[in-house]
Amino acid sequence: MNKKILVVDDDKDIIEPLAMILEAKGFKVETITKGKLVYSKIVSFKPDLLLLDILMSGTDGREICKKLKADKKTKNLTVVMMSAHPSAKKDSEDVGADDFIAKPFETEELLAMLHKYMSK
Amino acid sequence: MNRLNRYLNPIDRLGQGENSYLFPIIANIALWVLSEFYAYSIAHNPLIIGVYIIFLNVAFIIYFSFRDGIFGGLISAVAAILYYFYIIYTRHYSGAQLVAGIDTTIELGLIYILLALIIGWLKQTIDKLIGREANERIWLQTILEQMAVGVIITDNKGKVVQTNKQLEYILGIKVPPGFVMGEDKPAFKSTGNNMQVAPAQSPLAQALKSNKPVVGKEFDFHRKDGKKVTVQVNASLIKNKKKKVIAAASIITDITQQKELERQKDDFLSMASHELKTPITSLKMFIDLQRQQLNEKNSQKAHYFNERIHDQANRLKELTNDLLDVSRIQTNKLRFNREEFDMADVIQDTVEGLQATTQKHEIVIKGIDGEKVYGDRYRIYQVLVNLISNAIKYSPTGKKISVQAKKDKEYVVVSVKDNGIGISKAQQNKIFERLYQVTDPDVKTFPGLGLGLYISKVIIERHKGKIWVESAKGKGSTFYFSLPLYQKEHKTEV
Repeated sequence: MNKKILVVDDDKDIIEPLAMILEAKGFKVETITKGKLVYSKIVSFKPDLLLLDILMSGTDGREICKKLKADKKTKNLTVVMMSAHPSAKKDSEDVGADDFIAKPFETEELLAMLHKYMSK
Repeated sequence: MNRLNRYLNPIDRLGQGENSYLFPIIANIALWVLSEFYAYSIAHNPLIIGVYIIFLNVAFIIYFSFRDGIFGGLISAVAAILYYFYIIYTRHYSGAQLVAGIDTTIELGLIYILLALIIGWLKQTIDKLIGREANERIWLQTILEQMAVGVIITDNKGKVVQTNKQLEYILGIKVPPGFVMGEDKPAFKSTGNNMQVAPAQSPLAQALKSNKPVVGKEFDFHRKDGKKVTVQVNASLIKNKKKKVIAAASIITDITQQKELERQKDDFLSMASHELKTPITSLKMFIDLQRQQLNEKNSQKAHYFNERIHDQANRLKELTNDLLDVSRIQTNKLRFNREEFDMADVIQDTVEGLQATTQKHEIVIKGIDGEKVYGDRYRIYQVLVNLISNAIKYSPTGKKISVQAKKDKEYVVVSVKDNGIGISKAQQNKIFERLYQVTDPDVKTFPGLGLGLYISKVIIERHKGKIWVESAKGKGSTFYFSLPLYQKEHKTEV
């Protein structure tokens, strides 16, 4: 069965090519641009990994990660945070994200990171 | 009593520079009269008072030369000598007695004059030294008052000797002379100030304690007037020739504004890098996809990816253009190509162009007075694009955006109205500032560099127009700008 990735980013210009790349690699991908929809989407889509942007209009990605990691049901969901913000790596560690990738990233670098978590 | 003391006590008069001559003259005449009265009315033998007289004269010479300088001493000395001659002649001395009397008087007189000269000279030298020190203090105070930093000078025990007005201005409190900086007690409590630095913790007290200068300590505190101030404090020790600490000085610099500018700059740089990195991230992914498609020869998809790469490159171009414009404004290098053009054309073009970028919003033109204006067509277009893009960006739930142009006397007033999140009164004053971006706790961040309105304002003002906003939180905003209508004399303008 294909592994499932949920991508959350407020910028459509990021979401679109990202989804295409991931789908081309055989992942099943769903995308959302609004942070507050993430919880219901996790329930319905049951992703294996969450690719989460940090600075988003509306709900802050850091808040989402914190909440997910504090909840028994979603604690084990792998969360990879991404951001173009220079100080975001530390933020992602603080909120308990499993990994962090800085924008702009190399496609290969992102895929390698995802494979690391997916092969588990 | 105090005034009498200041008049009579020669030590109190040191350095005052107010020597009197009338007082020694009167006092010596009085001494003369009293001596004569004593000799004839009380002692009954005018010859036996000589020793007392000499003693009193010496005392007078010392006193007046110390009180009034050389001249005061000389008055007393000459008065004494004259009196002695008076005695010699009124007491009817004869022969050898007369010669001995004159000899003694001359010898005593020389000693008196010498005494007056030495003590008087000493007194005048002390006066000069004290005067010089007082002058130096006035110089120092004058210099201190002109400085843009606060200054505290204390003695080697931390007791305040001198401050300047700027110190009071920066701290918002008085540091009175005599206040001890080294004392371990709550700072300036009596003034109701919650300064977070107790005098004992002040760099000045620390410098005195450790016998080392303290450099570049920063403190935040809330001033009595509610303003939060950041100060940088340096303290150094003042040593004499023998390397003994005789005083300490502290310089207090208000760096609140500097800190704020630094913070703004940091915020801006991090935002700018975020904004620039986002399209680069997108571009890189599209290029990777494109490469893959070209390998698979899927030309329809490749064409689509090309379009997206083009869009993202444009987004980068716009961001860098904004940065470039701001830099041009800052260095006074923003130039305009002025010409006569039709406002209606520019509005039409802009609305058509931007409508294509959004499906959520409907941009309508509510009426245009077909007026000709004189200015840089491209720059006015840039302002309009900025205002309508903002209207789209800040009304995330969509709906109508209306654009209107109306003639008002010698101006055309263009308005862009949205039904978006609106701008609070407090933010309305700031949105045209450089680096300011409207934030909304419910919606958090909006993409962009926060430079658009600042650039627009500069463009409109350089066209002798005005730009302003009418808005209420949650009720949408209407932005206006006015431009002078085209006049014949514009043609002659360079």
